[in-house]
Amino acid sequence: MESEELIRQIMDEVMKNLAKDQVSFAKKPAGANGSAGSVSAANYPLGEKMPEKIKSATGKVLSDFSVDKVISGQLTAEDFRIAPETLELQAQVAESVGRDTLARNMRRAAELIKVPDDELLQVYNSLRPYRSTKAELYGIADGLESKYGCTVNAAFIREAADVYEKRGRLKAD
Amino acid sequence: MKSKRFEALDARPVNKDGFVTEWPEVGLIAMNGPNDPQPSIRIQNGKVVELDGKSRDEFDMIDTFIADYGIKLDNAEAVNAMDSLELARKLVDINVPRAEVVKLTTAMTPAKICEVIGKMTVLEMMMSVTKMRARKSPANQAHVTNLKDNPVQIAADAAEASLRGFAELETTVGIARYAPFNAIALMVGAQVGRPGILTQCAVEEATELNLGMRGFTAYAETVSVYGTEPVFMDGDDTPWSKAFLASCYASRGLKMRFTSGTGSEVQMGYAEGKSMLYLEARCLYITKAAGSQGIQNGSVSCVGVPAAVPGGIRAILAENLIATALDLECASSNDQTFTHSDLRRVARSLMQFVPGTDFICSGYSATPNYDNMFAGSNWDADDYDDWIIIQRDLKVDGGLVPVLEEDVTRVRNKAAKVIQAVFRELGLTEISDEEVEAATYARGSQDMPNRNVVEDIKAAEDLLKRGLTGVDIVKALAKSGFEDVATSVYGMLRQRVAGDYLHTSAILTDKFEVISAVNQPNDYNGPQTGYQISDEKWEQLKTIRQAISPENV
Repeated sequence: MESEELIRQIMDEVMKNLAKDQVSFAKKPAGANGSAGSVSAANYPLGEKMPEKIKSATGKVLSDFSVDKVISGQLTAEDFRIAPETLELQAQVAESVGRDTLARNMRRAAELIKVPDDELLQVYNSLRPYRSTKAELYGIADGLESKYGCTVNAAFIREAADVYEKRGRLKAD
Repeated sequence: MKSKRFEALDARPVNKDGFVTEWPEVGLIAMNGPNDPQPSIRIQNGKVVELDGKSRDEFDMIDTFIADYGIKLDNAEAVNAMDSLELARKLVDINVPRAEVVKLTTAMTPAKICEVIGKMTVLEMMMSVTKMRARKSPANQAHVTNLKDNPVQIAADAAEASLRGFAELETTVGIARYAPFNAIALMVGAQVGRPGILTQCAVEEATELNLGMRGFTAYAETVSVYGTEPVFMDGDDTPWSKAFLASCYASRGLKMRFTSGTGSEVQMGYAEGKSMLYLEARCLYITKAAGSQGIQNGSVSCVGVPAAVPGGIRAILAENLIATALDLECASSNDQTFTHSDLRRVARSLMQFVPGTDFICSGYSATPNYDNMFAGSNWDADDYDDWIIIQRDLKVDGGLVPVLEEDVTRVRNKAAKVIQAVFRELGLTEISDEEVEAATYARGSQDMPNRNVVEDIKAAEDLLKRGLTGVDIVKALAKSGFEDVATSVYGMLRQRVAGDYLHTSAILTDKFEVISAVNQPNDYNGPQTGYQISDEKWEQLKTIRQAISPENV
C-alpha cells in the first residue's frame, strides 16, 4: 500500500513536469483533416491507406513520418499523439461496421486529447466513488467544457453526478 | 477396511482441488440460477423504463448504465420477445451469419442472453465461438514476468515469446516501482523477437496510463468491471469512471480492453444471490456500453470459484461466447491456475483452444510457473512442447509455432544485448555481460544473477522524472547500432498516431499492418470457411524437432 502511495506521488510530480513541456494544442486549425471527408471500413486501416491525410495532434502528416526523423530530432514525443480529427475518422469507421458504442468512446476521447495528462487523471480520480460532491463534479464538467470544449464529456460527468447522488456514492459534504 | 481403489483415487492430483455444492443464495452457482431475473425490457419514448424485472426507479448504477448505453434499442422489445431456444439455435446455426446474430444479441438484455446461452451444450457453444469470434484468425497472448523483476530476463523471455508466435505480451511487477523497467524491457525484447508485438504492463490504473502515454506500452487490459454495485465500489470505480478511463486511453492513441469474469462477485461477497454467469453478463454489457473494443474474460483470476461448482467450466466458455456475441474482442483467460490435475487444465483450455478466440490465453506464462507474478498459470514455458504438439495432433492453430533451440538462444541473446545497450544509452543501471549470458540460456530467474534492486528502483524513478519516452528509446537503440529494433519501436509509436489498432480485436503483423475485426472480420459459415490453416502454416505447425522422419532412420 505504501509503495503504491509513493508511486502515485511520483507520478503526480512527473505529470506536472510533462504538462509544462507540452506544446500548445491551439495550433491546429479546425478541420485540419477536413479534407479527408467521411470514411468507412473501406478506407481502413487509415494509417496504411491514407497516411497523407492523417495528421498528428501537432499537425504533422503521417506519410512524412520516418524513424530517421525521430533520430534526428525532427519528430518528438509530442508528434506521436493522435489528433481529434483522426479519432473522428476512426469513429466513422467504427460506425460503418455497426459499433456505435465504440464510436461514442472515440468521440469522447477526441475531446480529451486537449486535456493535459495530469488534469485527465484528476478527472478520472474525481469520478471514482465517494471522491467528489455533486457540486465538485458539476464544476469539473463546467471546467472541461469551458477550457477545452469537452461538451460530450461534460454531459457524461454531470450524468454521473446525478446517478452518484441517487445511489449515495458522492463524497459527504 | 479401506478400499484400495479409493485409496489410489484419493491420492490423485484432482482430489487436491476444492469443490463445493451449489449454494445459490450466496451466488455459488455457475449459471441458470434460481434467483436470476426473468428477462424483460420496456421502452418508452426511446428510454428503457424496465430492465430484467426492475422498473427504472429500482435501477442500481449498473442497470442505469446498461439501460442507457448498453443495448441497441431499435429492435430490443421484439428480440427479447423471441423464443430463447430459437435464438440459441441461431447462435449455433452455420447458416445464420455472424452479422445477423450480432443484431439480435446486441438487442438482448443481460438476463435474456443468459437464458439463450443457457440452452446450449459446450459443444454448441464452441461451434458458436468459432462463428462469433470477431477477428477471423485466432491469436494468443503471453505473460512475461519474473520473481526478481529482472529486466534482462524480461527482455529475453519477451523475445522468445514473440518468436514463438504470441501476438501480445503482458507483464506486471513484484515491486511496483520497477514498472517502467519492466515495461521498457518487455517492449524492446518483444520487438527483437518479432516486430509488431503489442505489449502492456499491468499496474495500478494511473501508473498504467502514464506508462502508455510515454510510449512504453501499446495497450492496457486491467480495467476491471464488476457485476454488482457493491463490488464495483470495492473496486474503487463506477461504470462512469471506467468509461471515462477508456476514453483517456483512446485519447492517447492506446489500445484498451476491459477485464471481468465469473466468480469475482461471490469471491468478494456481494453476489446478491445471482448466478455467476448472469453477473458476468452485466459486466459484458457495461463493457459494451462504455465503448471498450473488447474484454479479457473467462473468470480470469477468480477461476477457482466457478471451477469448484457444477458446470463452472461450461459457464466460463459461456461468458467468452457472450463477449463474442456482443461483438467484443475476447481475450479468453486460460491464465490463472485452478487445478492440480493436468487432465482438468487441458480440458478447461480445449473449450477456447478448439474454436479459437482472439487471444486463447490472456495469457500463457512465458516463464516457468515459479516466475509467474499473476499467481501461477494454467500453461507455462515448461508446457510449450505440449501446446505445440496438441496443435499438431488436432490440426488447430493455437497461436504458437514450433521453434528451434538455436533460434531461441539467438533472439534471447540479442534481446539481452539490446536492453543492455538501451540501459547504457539512457543512463540507467548497468547490465553486465554475465547477465546477458545468463539470460540467453536461462529457464527462469533462478538462473539469473541478482541485481542491485535499490539502484534499479532509483534509476526507474529517475527515468520518469527525466520525462523519458518511447522516442528516447528509439534514439538509444539507433545510437547503439540496433537500427532494426529502433525501426520496430518507432513502428509501434507510429500506430498511435493513426489509431487503427483501437478497433475491435486489432493485432499487428511483422510489417506493422493492422489486422482487426474491421478489415479481417470472421466470415465463418461452415466447413472450409472462416479461418483456415494455410498449407504453409500447416507445414510450419507440423514440423516439430522431435519427429523422426524416414530420412533420419
